[in-house]
Amino acid sequence: MKIKEGFILRSVGSENVVVAVGEQSRKFNGMIRLNNTGKFLWELLKEDRTEEFLADELVANYDIDREQATADVKRFAERLKEAEVLA
Amino acid sequence: MFNIELAGVVITVNNRYPAVEKLCREYITHETASSAFTVEVSDEQIDREQSVGDFSRGYCESVCIYREIVKKIPKYGVFFLHASVVEADGVSYAFMAKSGTGKSTHTSLWLKHFGERARIINGDKPLLRFVDGQLYVYGTPWCGKEGYQINTSSPLKALCFLERGEKNSIRRLNDNEIVNRLFHQVIMPENASDMEDFLKLLDRTVKEVPMWLLTCTISDEAVVTAYEAMSKETQK
Repeated sequence: MKIKEGFILRSVGSENVVVAVGEQSRKFNGMIRLNNTGKFLWELLKEDRTEEFLADELVANYDIDREQATADVKRFAERLKEAEVLA
Repeated sequence: MFNIELAGVVITVNNRYPAVEKLCREYITHETASSAFTVEVSDEQIDREQSVGDFSRGYCESVCIYREIVKKIPKYGVFFLHASVVEADGVSYAFMAKSGTGKSTHTSLWLKHFGERARIINGDKPLLRFVDGQLYVYGTPWCGKEGYQINTSSPLKALCFLERGEKNSIRRLNDNEIVNRLFHQVIMPENASDMEDFLKLLDRTVKEVPMWLLTCTISDEAVVTAYEAMSKETQK
């Protein structure tokens, strides 16, 4: 899975927001907010990644165990799928 | 076709119906050479706007025209906020709220409280722009049903979200609390580079301009609560 073309992540104040541009903006109206872990995963998802890879990266970079990382990635991916952000 | 100047930006409006030119009459300029961009809307856009409510095509065109202006103008350092902006003693305050909360009612109370010391710069759809490190609000012809608008500019000291409550209180909001609220009061560009410019302006505003949450009743005390807090504090 990876992020579709036409979504950009920027900061507004101390917050991370994702908005749609170009063609995507016709379908996706609004914005998604990400915490810092979400931002970390988003940056990785600019390339095609598996959930397993993302969970490994979380374990390597954050103070969480493998089980928690897998659950976090699953939840994050579900949320992005619901928003139709993933290709 | 005619040219208007909004927040220091000259815009060419290529209209189909006379209503929009009439609406814009106080903002018309004859400096044709310096037009930053042209806006026009299609019959289809007007049809879509008309399907939302039973309004004339001319009115619907004017709504569509402004939406197009708002999407293109961030490139020129200007952005739109859905707010009622009141000036007191030469300094302005922008109030934002979910529709029906009563932001116009609140700013009207400022007029009552301050008399000649206050005026409403724009009741609903102002433009904002940073000039020499200070955020300014600018009047526009689009201004909500009360028709409060003045073709002028004024330094904007604070932004305030408004909620109705049993008592009057005001507090500062942090970035986390601001972002969702603020995105409900904007119109986002579609084009990628316009979006970049727009987000930079929002980012700067969140970083530099104090933002508040006013919980209030419909009363003079609500005005005093808001004014006392916002007029004193200068630090972001």
